[in-house]
Amino acid sequence: MNLKGPVFRPFLFFGVLTIFVSSFIKCFMIEITDVSKSYKEGLTKRRVQALSGLSLHVESGEVFGFLGPNGAGKSTTIKILVNLVYPDQGNVSLFGQAPGGKDVQSRIGYLPENPYFYDYLSAEELLLFAGSACGMDRVSIKKRSKELFELVDLAASSRRPLRTYSKGMVQRAGLAAALVHDPDLVILDEPMSGLDPIGRKMVGDIILSLKKMGKTVFFSSHILTDIERFSDRIGILAKGELRLVGSLSELVTNGSSLEDLFLTKVVDVAEAQE
Amino acid sequence: MKGIWAVGVVTFLEGIRNRSLYGITIIALLLLVSNLIMSGLVPQSVGKLAVDIALSTVSFTGLLIVLFIGINLVAKDLDRKTIYMVLSRPISRQDYIVGKFSGIAALIVASVAVLGLFAALSIFITQSNFPEYFARFSWGSVVLAMVFSALSLVLLSAVSLLFASFASNSFITLVMTVIVYIIGHSLSDVKSLLSGGSQIASESSGVVVKLVEVAYYVFPNLSLFDLKLQAAHGLATPVSYVAWVALYGVGYSSFIVCLARLAFSRREFP
Repeated sequence: MNLKGPVFRPFLFFGVLTIFVSSFIKCFMIEITDVSKSYKEGLTKRRVQALSGLSLHVESGEVFGFLGPNGAGKSTTIKILVNLVYPDQGNVSLFGQAPGGKDVQSRIGYLPENPYFYDYLSAEELLLFAGSACGMDRVSIKKRSKELFELVDLAASSRRPLRTYSKGMVQRAGLAAALVHDPDLVILDEPMSGLDPIGRKMVGDIILSLKKMGKTVFFSSHILTDIERFSDRIGILAKGELRLVGSLSELVTNGSSLEDLFLTKVVDVAEAQE
Repeated sequence: MKGIWAVGVVTFLEGIRNRSLYGITIIALLLLVSNLIMSGLVPQSVGKLAVDIALSTVSFTGLLIVLFIGINLVAKDLDRKTIYMVLSRPISRQDYIVGKFSGIAALIVASVAVLGLFAALSIFITQSNFPEYFARFSWGSVVLAMVFSALSLVLLSAVSLLFASFASNSFITLVMTVIVYIIGHSLSDVKSLLSGGSQIASESSGVVVKLVEVAYYVFPNLSLFDLKLQAAHGLATPVSYVAWVALYGVGYSSFIVCLARLAFSRREFP
């Protein structure tokens, strides 16, 4: 078959053109465009605005720290990303696709804030569930679970029922469950909450090792030092609005700190609004 | 399909390991032991009494399992936010409902099978002690009554799943399921009372009669599955009846699960 023949020439031309054009189009891992979300609250069903016109993107291989005070809308944003809630308006895409599809979900590893798992399952069974739901076979899950339990220091207690675990142990089991299927995008909602200093270091090390492996990490926290230590880029959210986004090196210049920046963008703006 | 299977397995394991199940099983065993004692105390219709108590124990404990374990298996996921971890996997909301229903149905079938074995044992011991009262007894009728009891419990758990798919908390689901259970068991009698030429029928307003008629077709007719009387009297159940009621149970349960899937498909988990 002559691939340079007159019949194939147009196909060859368009193929090369497609590759050329696509190399200039940046495909973001996460792209949030003008997203708003409100919830109905109480008996009167009063609407409470959780997010207002949020737009941001996260590139592949990046560690993105999502910072904001309690009730800023961080968890709502994450829940929209993992398809637990739907935006009222705006667009969200993960890997260039809308959230919720099976292809998208199988490439995400998600750790909720204050996770709660099945009481009567062991951590081993939890990972078996998490892995098999993602289409992994039993042997691969067992092998991967063993590595992860070593990593999160649960090897000795992986067969105990989860209801006997401390809060920190549940958090670590949740982290292992989020990583069992080797996801491309890891979304962690307050991953350090409930952990002792050793546990916090362990989670930090995991985030850094994920970064080395080229994974994308999107994590939320209201603890400034955590964000400062691990993030390439940060976004500061307050009262449902994105107050600032950019790389840490650009935002935190000589003489200033992330705390100063945070207080300026969150507290000062809030006071001005009042 | 993998998602449905994974959710089903986890639901079944959570249910079977639940401590409440052990409590319910102990209650069932005590009732079955009381069956043996009661048979010794009552000098007549021992066979009917033994079968009736044994089958009632199975359906009563099955009901407790549906109300206190089955409902909790979904409610806990929602109340404690375990569903966040489940739905962040490639498991759709619809698959979650089907998986939960499969797990709960498997739990009910397994529980009724175990309770049924103990019930059969209590009947067998009574039969050995008082063979003269078991002249018209048939094991087939007893097994059929147990199978139908399991089927009605599966149907009821499908109804509870429908309520759980939109109710804001587990208490509402529990109350609504109990109401459906009561209506489902009494509606048939109420309808026949109102449609007959009795005094009550003539005194009732047309609106009430119409309401009962509508309710009769909307609510599941759980009394159809109650074959305790036939089993106790050793009466044969026509094959056509068995086939139609089985079809009704499977069809109604499937329809209700489809409704639950629909209700759950747009639900948010803030």
